Amino acid sequence: MLTKDTKVEQKLRSEAKALLEQGKVDYIIGFELGSLKFTTTPLITSDKDDTSRLVINPFIANNLSVYLPDVKGRVGIVVKGCDSRSLVSLLQDNKIARERVVILGVPCRGIIDLSKVEKLVGKERDEIDDIVREEDRVLVTANGNKKEFPTSEVLFDNCLGCELPTPQEYDILLGETTLPAGDSDQAASLAKVKQLKDMPAEQRWEFWKSEFERCLRCYACRNVCPACFCQRCFVEETEPTWLLPVPRWQDNLLFQVVRNIHVAGRCTDCGECERACPVNIPLRSLTREIYEIVGELFQYKAGMDKDAPPLLACYETTDTEDFIR
Amino acid sequence: MTSKGKINKQDVAKLLSEWGKEFTVFVPSQDAGVATWARWDGKDTSFLEWYRNTIVPPKAIFLPPVEEMFSFKKDKASYQIELPASDEKTPLIFGIRPCDAKALAIIDMTFKDVYEDPYYLSKRNNTILIGLGCTNPYDSCFCTSLYDGPSDVSDVDLMLTDIGDEFLVEEVTEKGKELMAKTSLAEEATEADEVRAKEAKEAAYNKVTRQLDTKDIEEKLLANFDDKDYWEKVAAKCISCGVCTFLCPTCYCFDINDELIRNQGGRLRSWDSCAFPLYTKMPMENPRLEKWRRVRQKVCHKYGFYPMNFDIIACTGCGRCIRLCPVNWDITQALASLPVRAQA
Repeated sequence: MLTKDTKVEQKLRSEAKALLEQGKVDYIIGFELGSLKFTTTPLITSDKDDTSRLVINPFIANNLSVYLPDVKGRVGIVVKGCDSRSLVSLLQDNKIARERVVILGVPCRGIIDLSKVEKLVGKERDEIDDIVREEDRVLVTANGNKKEFPTSEVLFDNCLGCELPTPQEYDILLGETTLPAGDSDQAASLAKVKQLKDMPAEQRWEFWKSEFERCLRCYACRNVCPACFCQRCFVEETEPTWLLPVPRWQDNLLFQVVRNIHVAGRCTDCGECERACPVNIPLRSLTREIYEIVGELFQYKAGMDKDAPPLLACYETTDTEDFIR
Repeated sequence: MTSKGKINKQDVAKLLSEWGKEFTVFVPSQDAGVATWARWDGKDTSFLEWYRNTIVPPKAIFLPPVEEMFSFKKDKASYQIELPASDEKTPLIFGIRPCDAKALAIIDMTFKDVYEDPYYLSKRNNTILIGLGCTNPYDSCFCTSLYDGPSDVSDVDLMLTDIGDEFLVEEVTEKGKELMAKTSLAEEATEADEVRAKEAKEAAYNKVTRQLDTKDIEEKLLANFDDKDYWEKVAAKCISCGVCTFLCPTCYCFDINDELIRNQGGRLRSWDSCAFPLYTKMPMENPRLEKWRRVRQKVCHKYGFYPMNFDIIACTGCGRCIRLCPVNWDITQALASLPVRAQA
C-alpha cells in the first residue's frame, strides 16, 4: 500500500506539526490509515503528536472540506484539487473565512476506486493482498497473482476527467510540482452520463426508478457533500413537512432532485455522494449532468475563483431573465 | 448434542422448492450488485458462490425500511381504516449468518417487551432460520469477541457448514429436526464429514482477527458517560448519516408518519436513526443537537443500555457499520480508546 508519496507525507507531517506548535492553527484535518485494508480515514486533531499518523496515498478519497464549517477555530486542512474547489466554493458562500484556514494542498494523481479493482480481480477489498500505484499503472496482487492495470481503469470516474489535480488556492503545497490537467479524459469521465443521456426518456425513467427503489434515505450522499451545508435540510422540516422521511422511490427521487438543484453551481464533481452510497446508486450521473448544464448555461465552474460571486446566490442587472431584477 | 445430516449443494434448489410449498423462502440476492434478502425466485442458487453477507441485514424482512401500518379513507365525518394484507406463509430464511440470527434474537427482546409489536411479530413469529456458517469473514468482522463466532448455532433452527460438495446439517431445534425428517434429500453424515466440519469451523474462527475487549464495557461506558472530551474526540469525524444504524442488524428505531392526500392516506412506519438531529427534535429543544451526544447515544445504547435492560450487548460484531461507513468510523476503535478511570 505504500507508494512513492512518502516524501510528501513527511513534508505534510512536519508542516502540520509546526502549524499546531506555533499556534497558527487549532486543528489539523487530514487523513490517517483506516482500520480496514486499503482505506484511509479522516483525522481531526489538535494534538501535535497525532500529526505523525498523517498519510497521503492513492486511497485518500474523502473530501475533508465537508468538516470545515463545523470545526471551530483556525484549521489546517489537507485538500486534493477537487476538495480545494469545494473549499473555495465554501469561501464564496461565506461559510468559512479565508483567514481561518491554512490550506495544505496535495497535487493529486487520482484516487483508486476500490470497487473497480474488486471487479477487475474478482475479489473483494479485504481479499486482495496488495495494491501498488506506480506512475501510470497499478499493480494488484490477489491469491498470489500480480496483475497490472493502467491507472485509467482503476481511478474513480470523476478523477479521469479531473480539471484541477493541483489546488489553485493553497498556503502550503505538498509536492514539488503542480500537475497539469491537460491529459484528463473527459470522455471516459462522462461515459456513464452519456450512456444515460442517450437512452430514450422512458427507459431512463425506468432506470432511475429502479435505482431509487434501493435508496434507504440514510442521507450519506448529503452528509458527505460539502455543498450540502444547510443547517437544516428541507427534508427535516416538519412544519410543513415538505417530504416524508419514508424510503419510497418517488420520495427518494424527489429528495435527490431537490438536492441536486440545491448544489447546482456548488458541486465540484468530487464524487463523494456516489462513493458514500451504501446501495450503489450512481448519483454522480445526476450531479455531473447538472455540472454540465451549469457550464453550458452560465459558463461557470464551481470553486475555481474565490472572488467570484456564488452562481445561484447572486444576480446581475444585466440578467436576461427579467423576473430576477 | 445435535444430530447431524448432510445435503449435497446441488440439491439446495430442490430443498428450497420443497420448503417453498410451506414457507416463504428468503435467500441472499443481488439487486444491481447490492447484496440483500429477497424471496427466492424458484431457481437461482448462485448465492452459494458469492454470498459472504448481505449489505441490507435480514431485519428488513420483519421491520421493512417502510411499511404501511394501515390505510384510511375519509368519508364525510368518519374514517374507514383498512389493515394491510399479511403473508399467509411463514418466512424461512435460508443462509442467515450466525451474527444476523443473533441480531434477530436481540431485537425480538424489544419487540416482545412490555409492548408487543404486532407488525414485527406477525412476520417474525414461527420464522424458520436456516443458518449458514461463515467460512470467509470480512476484515471488519469481530463476532468472536461477542459470542461463539462464525459457526454459533444458538439462534438458528438448522445450521449448515460448508464441507466441500455438501453442507453438514446440525439440527438445533425441534422445528429444525422436523424439517429434516420431512425431506428425502438429506443423508446421514459420516465421521469424516464431521471432522471436515470441525476443521472448517476452526478455520473460520481463526480468520476473525478483529478483537474487542468487552470485559466491563457497560461499567466503563457509564463511568465515561459525562466525559465530553472523549465523546467529542471520537465523534469528530462522524458525518451523522444513517449508514451504520440503518444497516445495523440490531438497530430497530423507527418513525411514524401519516400521509393524507385528498381524502385518503396511510400511516407509514419507516427506519429512523439516532444519528439524525431530527430524531430527538422536540417542540422546545433538541437534547441531542450536538453530534457527540448522538454518537454517545448509539454506542451506549448497544454496549450500555441494552445490557442494562436485557442483559445482552446489542451488537453481534457483523462489522457492517465499519465496512460501510463513508468515513471508516470504527466502533471497535472508539470503545478501545475509552479512558480507564474509577467507576462513577
